[in-house]
Amino acid sequence: MTGLEQIVAGLEAGQVSIVASVPDTWIGRLMAGVRRSSRLRAVDVAREEEAVAVACGANLAGGRGAVLIQNAGLLNCGGILAGLVELYRLPCFFIVSLRGDHRDPVYYHAPKGRVTEETLRAWRLPHARADRRGDLAAQVKQGVEFCVESRGPFVLLISGEDLG
Amino acid sequence: MTARKPLLDALVAMLTPRDALVSCLGANARYLPHMTVPCPVFALCDSMSAAIPLALGMALQRPDRHVVALEGDGSLLMSPNVLATVAAAAPPNLTMLLWVNGRYESSGGQALPAVTVDWAALARAAGIGHVAAAGDVAGLREAFTRARAAGAPALVVVEVAFDPAEAIPPYSERPDEIRARFQL
Repeated sequence: MTGLEQIVAGLEAGQVSIVASVPDTWIGRLMAGVRRSSRLRAVDVAREEEAVAVACGANLAGGRGAVLIQNAGLLNCGGILAGLVELYRLPCFFIVSLRGDHRDPVYYHAPKGRVTEETLRAWRLPHARADRRGDLAAQVKQGVEFCVESRGPFVLLISGEDLG
Repeated sequence: MTARKPLLDALVAMLTPRDALVSCLGANARYLPHMTVPCPVFALCDSMSAAIPLALGMALQRPDRHVVALEGDGSLLMSPNVLATVAAAAPPNLTMLLWVNGRYESSGGQALPAVTVDWAALARAAGIGHVAAAGDVAGLREAFTRARAAGAPALVVVEVAFDPAEAIPPYSERPDEIRARFQL
């Protein structure tokens, strides 16, 4: 099973029903896998804050929503994380492509890579880097369930090499 | 131009227990806890622009319910992109009401950028197929009835008077209470 297939399997195992996304190269590949699933509904949104609200709406309506975006988009989401997810204590599971770290030394991604994890810590967002050596499906499912049990967010950071 | 409260009263009177209502922050969210609303209500007290995508997620998750989103022109001006998102997802059970008063009412009534936005044209250009306008209670009744029967995402542009002296009640429910009571 490829990493991509494991992540999709983890979303299914976590009983995610709606996956809202703005793609980048890596997330776009992942969303292609999401679209092949008969158990996941892909929702293409125009901006990342919308994805957060769509996922929260799915959760409020009895489903489980997930947000698949790039770290640039996550950095857009500070307001809605504070004013919706945290304020109303809503589960919200994120898979975020971590562009610009040492595994992705592209000059125009590097500024995002430098600040992403520090921003997550400053925002007090529970997060982890995906570990390709382990069971990615289990990491995704665990992240989804953490959101449900904690009534809050969780961010799983992925790299392009996690999809192979 | 009609005042807000009679319009909100008329809307609430048309809702049924099979609906769900999502309100943006501001006056509507502050009035609703004091009204007898026959369906679940999720009222925002922060997060401008979140009402419509929040309602979209609900509508997609629960196609058996009709979801009504109340959004303000200040909020939609901040994120008109959501109209294209809704058009692409095409839920048949989502009706959006855009309350247009040209003001950021919840923050003191400051004026929006000084331009007249053609909201109906903007929505149509973004792919919303059913768009209507209402300027009074009778017009709202007619437009909302048609919108919810459209079988496609619909937007009703509601022109509402801005009254700086309007006695809008303060927020009276905590977010935890709003979330806990919201059951579809």
